[in-house]
Amino acid sequence: MKAAIEIESLSKTFRSRGGNEIEAVSRLDLTVEPGQVFGFLGSNGAGKTTTLKMACGLVMPTTGTVRLNGFDVGRQRGRAMRQIGAVLEGTRNVYWRMNAWQNLLYFGRIKGISSSRSLKTRAEQLLRELDLWERRKDPVGEFSRGMQQKVAIAAALIADPPIVLLDEPVLGLDVQASRTVQDWIVELAKERGKTVVLTTHQLDMAENLCDRVAIMSRGRLLAHRPTGELLDLFRREFYQLRLRGVDAAEKGGAFPGFTASQENGHTVLSGEVGDDLSVFELVERARLAGMDLISVSPAEPNLEEIFVELIERAEETVGQNGNLERDGAGRPAGVEIRG
Amino acid sequence: MVLTGTVLLNECQKRLIILWSYRFNFMLETFMIGFLFVGISFFVSGGRPAPEQMAPALLGYLTWFFAVFAISDMSQGIREETQTGTLEQMYMSPLPSGLLLAGRSVASLLISSGMVILIGGILMLLLGIRIPVRLAGVPVFALTLAGLYGFAFFMGGATLVFKQVNALSNLLTNMLLFLNGSFLTVERMPGWLETFARSLPSTQGIDVLRRVVLEDMSLTGVWQDGSLVWLTVHTAVFLLAGWGVFLWGERVARRRGLLGQY
Repeated sequence: MKAAIEIESLSKTFRSRGGNEIEAVSRLDLTVEPGQVFGFLGSNGAGKTTTLKMACGLVMPTTGTVRLNGFDVGRQRGRAMRQIGAVLEGTRNVYWRMNAWQNLLYFGRIKGISSSRSLKTRAEQLLRELDLWERRKDPVGEFSRGMQQKVAIAAALIADPPIVLLDEPVLGLDVQASRTVQDWIVELAKERGKTVVLTTHQLDMAENLCDRVAIMSRGRLLAHRPTGELLDLFRREFYQLRLRGVDAAEKGGAFPGFTASQENGHTVLSGEVGDDLSVFELVERARLAGMDLISVSPAEPNLEEIFVELIERAEETVGQNGNLERDGAGRPAGVEIRG
Repeated sequence: MVLTGTVLLNECQKRLIILWSYRFNFMLETFMIGFLFVGISFFVSGGRPAPEQMAPALLGYLTWFFAVFAISDMSQGIREETQTGTLEQMYMSPLPSGLLLAGRSVASLLISSGMVILIGGILMLLLGIRIPVRLAGVPVFALTLAGLYGFAFFMGGATLVFKQVNALSNLLTNMLLFLNGSFLTVERMPGWLETFARSLPSTQGIDVLRRVVLEDMSLTGVWQDGSLVWLTVHTAVFLLAGWGVFLWGERVARRRGLLGQY
């Protein structure tokens, strides 16, 4: 099956006013399969938005190519643009002085829909699905932030593109609006077969939504794997022992390296179990130490912990020039975990 | 053809909807533009404006209004759309950006024509000014407007790259008002200023337009005396240079990632 997005050796270097070169994206290679929800994660300035904008044809790469469903964004711009709809972060994306209906019709036409009837049918369908139909005649500027974001998403989807790029889609939304947008993202991918690429700082959301994630730092790809696989990779022999009583922490000496915390009148000891200690031995050690053990459970890593660890590892390898140091193959030294 | 028509109608519709949402401002601005003409005419004529003297001034003034509208649309309009992110959405269209820009320009031209007819009509009625409608004036007027839009493209291209060209665009539009020969005849200016004034986008057009529309000269006449030739060259230079600068601005904005950055 043809990849929805193919990024090859993509780099972008900006020049600051002082004449310094800033490498926003460096030799990025990745592929996004059709029907996936793909998450781009990274700190501010990691290069996520620049990558997305290069995919949208809004920023010209210094080197490399982006292909959308096989169409080269640089060379087959018109056909490549028919493959995507995008909502970019930090801007309105639609005209606030116009109402939702007018916006959808306007963007539908500039996306090349020439049939008035099919455009209107599509606009109505989108507005109904997003619960905006009743308010379609109100100016978008009068909407809540969540509703405005829904209009922007609807405008991005008006031409029914197979690929949807969403830059920080739930930023600034309340819980309910964020939930609606997230549900929609899942529906777009799972029920309508669309490829959704999103950038976000909300790692719990990425963990729940994304089939695959890419973690970027300083323009480089640190990890690029299916979300579950990445979590497995970081899943260690990490356990939590729940003990009766708040003073049980004093007995924690039996488990060097474990941290103690209080929770609902109990003590929780958390720590990594090395290769030399099995779970049975762990329980036996607790019994010998006279601990009143309630439970022993493995602690699952989450994407946030993995993200922090990878970024910390990446920062440790930053050279004096502010760029990540590379190994012999030109990859970020010591941090790369790719699929 | 159908596509071009759709793009054009789409842009017109958008502009009208947005204009209508600012209708109070729009009405005040229209009043101010009309009032400004009356005020300047009184000032220039020493307080005794005669309708026959005001006709050439009004012709130049209305042409200047097209310039204001076109320049503001291409510089201020693009700057605002950069801020709101709608410019980036426009550039994500599968349609050629040249077609969208042309649609935008024609929409701006149609709307400004409507406003010129409204303002011009009211001023002519109130002040008793008569401007005859002559067919020979149409190609001259079209050439003048094409030159003006060339200049507006130039400003649009500069806005894509430099963003803060607002002050420059205000300066240029005000300069056009006083140097395009609407109120002060170019021939009366000092030599260096006359040369500069004649190099501005609408000056030559207004000059030829007056001769054809108000002095009833034929197109052959203005061609033979060289003024129409000069206007044609002038327009071609502005149009080509403006288009070139706009394309340059687009390329630089894409290279530097400025389409969504203010």
